[in-house]
Amino acid sequence: MTAVGHERRWALAILAALGLLALLPLAGPREDLLNFVFLILLSITLAESWNIVAGYAGQVNLGHAAFFGLGALVTRTLWIGGTPVPLAMAAGAVTATMFALVIGVAAFRLRGAYFAIGTLALGEILKATIGNVLPEISTLPAATIASYRLTLRYYLALGLAAVSVIAVATLATSRLGLGMRAIREDEEAAEASGVGALALKLTALALSTALAGLAGGLFAYYHISYYPAHPFGPHWTFDALLMTFIGGVGTLQGPVLGAALYVVLKEYLALRWVDIHLLIFGALFVAIVLLLPGGLVQAAERARWMFGRRA
Amino acid sequence: MLEISGLESGYGDVRVLSGVTLSIAPGEIVALLGPNGAGKSTLLNCVAGLVRPWGGAIRWDGDDLRALDAHLIVERGVALVPEGRRLFGGMTVQENLELGAFAPRVWGGRRAALERVYALFPVLAERRRTAVQALSGGQQQMVAVGRALMARPRLLMLDEPSLGLAPRLVAAILEALAAINREGVAVFLVEQNVPAALSVAHRGYLLEGGRIVGEGSGAALMADAHVRRAYLGPLAVRHGE
Amino acid sequence: MTVLAQQLLLGLLIGGLYGLAAAGLSLIFGVMRVLNVAHGELIMLGGYGAFWLSALLGVDPFASLVIVIPASLLLGAVLYWGLFGFVVRAHEETRVKNSLLIGFGLALALHALAVRLWTADERSIPTSYGGAVLSLGDLAIPLVRLATLVLALLLIVALQLLLSRWRWGKAIRATAEDWQAALLTGIDIRRAYLLAFALGTALAGAAGTLVTVAYSVSPSIGLEWTLKALIVVVLAGLGSMMGTFVGGLVLGVAEAASAATFGGPYREIVGLVIFVVVLAVRPRGLFGR
Repeated sequence: MTAVGHERRWALAILAALGLLALLPLAGPREDLLNFVFLILLSITLAESWNIVAGYAGQVNLGHAAFFGLGALVTRTLWIGGTPVPLAMAAGAVTATMFALVIGVAAFRLRGAYFAIGTLALGEILKATIGNVLPEISTLPAATIASYRLTLRYYLALGLAAVSVIAVATLATSRLGLGMRAIREDEEAAEASGVGALALKLTALALSTALAGLAGGLFAYYHISYYPAHPFGPHWTFDALLMTFIGGVGTLQGPVLGAALYVVLKEYLALRWVDIHLLIFGALFVAIVLLLPGGLVQAAERARWMFGRRA
Repeated sequence: MLEISGLESGYGDVRVLSGVTLSIAPGEIVALLGPNGAGKSTLLNCVAGLVRPWGGAIRWDGDDLRALDAHLIVERGVALVPEGRRLFGGMTVQENLELGAFAPRVWGGRRAALERVYALFPVLAERRRTAVQALSGGQQQMVAVGRALMARPRLLMLDEPSLGLAPRLVAAILEALAAINREGVAVFLVEQNVPAALSVAHRGYLLEGGRIVGEGSGAALMADAHVRRAYLGPLAVRHGE
Repeated sequence: MTVLAQQLLLGLLIGGLYGLAAAGLSLIFGVMRVLNVAHGELIMLGGYGAFWLSALLGVDPFASLVIVIPASLLLGAVLYWGLFGFVVRAHEETRVKNSLLIGFGLALALHALAVRLWTADERSIPTSYGGAVLSLGDLAIPLVRLATLVLALLLIVALQLLLSRWRWGKAIRATAEDWQAALLTGIDIRRAYLLAFALGTALAGAAGTLVTVAYSVSPSIGLEWTLKALIVVVLAGLGSMMGTFVGGLVLGVAEAASAATFGGPYREIVGLVIFVVVLAVRPRGLFGR
């Protein structure tokens, strides 16, 4: 586990990198490059948001896609209905958080694996329900398509990624984050020393799902047409899980690294064999759980330590 | 036969045993006495292989037991009746006893072993098809002892067998232990009930704060002033009544 | 009324397979607290095994059980040795969490592999007797599906016998109840874990074969069947294979009832809702200890 001080340093480094990326559209690149980076930015937000509950509060939430989907659903509906996008996205985030708090109280009574499969089931219920209630594809009206500007969405994704990084960094270095880490290490001991576990977990969940809801809103704003049930699909959760764990769960930079690696590998390999990135990441994931629970961040630290000794 | 020297052990950061040395010769009944938390259970668990010692040696017939997994230690002839019995609740008396002979060395002879246990505890023979959950505390303790006996041990270890039992039943268990011992099985008995333990034991050790602080014959320990004060005073008498 | 009865019957028939699928998961979890969420993928592999045997060698799918079951036993042993055996070194809570994560990675990898080997299309095994139907009054009972129910029940009974009569079956039950006490009676619990894992995987493989011959198989049935198995395990609790089987039947019938009442799309949801409700109210299930 990285020491607290490193979070600030990493946050600055990542924000600097994001700052550089802000210059990208000015260089007049191809659209597919912007789309590619957009995907990375969205993934960063999704992964960091998942990381909050998993890495800092210690619970594996397998229903994360539900909040992503709710954010998308509410944003899309309001936006198409005429609401300005920022408001629509905010409403999406609020909806996601409200829903999370309602089920969170019940869900957090479940321990460990039961919480994981319980949230998975909840996510699936939502997906199936939306799929039944809104089976038709959602497409933007022609006028909106005509005035579609990718650059705008790109900057929005950039901003959201920055926000999620700042949020996690702030959380990690705060009293709240300290309490969460205590729960993650040993919940009973933490309770005994006065840490209100449920309240902290709900706070983590609220922050996590708010960000996920915003990410969903971004998704709804970005795509021209998609099936409303699509953002509720479990693979959004699984992707976030993979990215976070492979990068390094519980660290600030882990999800960022994991997201970048994941998207790059996925796009690069998709040409040869459609789902091979999943085969590789699945195997990598297993290796990490067994051998290197701290993910690539831990691997990098070990390497640095080893080389440090030589010098 | 069993030689423990300088044994150190604990759980997590907590040290429980700080250099215990004792030995048990064939055919002896040895009692281990001491207050709660002294480390008596930990010691037995170390010998049985359930807990890894931090330091020191445990030798059985000269072999180091520390390297062995618990089930292999049973195979070597050391059986533990754990505290709280730990029976397989959903299974019958017979099934529990039979499982006691699981080790390859004794599996073949389990029918004969079963008959011997039933001879020792006739009440179990009557209830052989009853689920052990339905038995009384005393009967459950008999099953627990019987189960360990099924492994044909040369050393039988018991962790607080009298806990929660009425005096009559405690006496029955002790009689059974004496009978088992007459057949050549050594017994290592951890007990808080000092009078009971010393009534059958040839020798005893006193464990306090993770160390052996006293040793002697059964009679000598019973007569010892410290033992009398700490374990045979008014409170101790109440426990033994 | 007859339509409803027919629906419920079909629900009962698939419920037997839900029970079989759940039995494997329940056995493994009950004995070693390992939650293999790739269980559904193992079912899928069993199905594809039968498919291959039929497509490449013309083996009758029911007969292919003779090959699929031992092959699945072996696969289970390999997965335990190579993967889940390492998870059991931790204590319980970490164990469950790690096995969940490992199962997740394994599921992803197996799913991707299946897509590569067999494409994402649905596959089924056509047989000469596939359309045979037994008429009982107004009910039409598809014989193949009835056969799968009967076989599922037989396999459960066989498992139950194995656990109560076989020396290692008893060892498995003892280990499930109290692993420390099991060690003290001379049981090598690691071997008990291995056997339980292999048996559980064998049940999954068998379930997969039966699913494929009665319905179809595709790479996506993995997640679907893992969820079904989880629902049944939570519904029925641990410890009784027969109870798990009945739990499967209950789920099948409940799904059919809800599809008949609320409409087809709600079939999937009812199982998940039952799951969540039971988890919230009684994490130990209905039959379990």
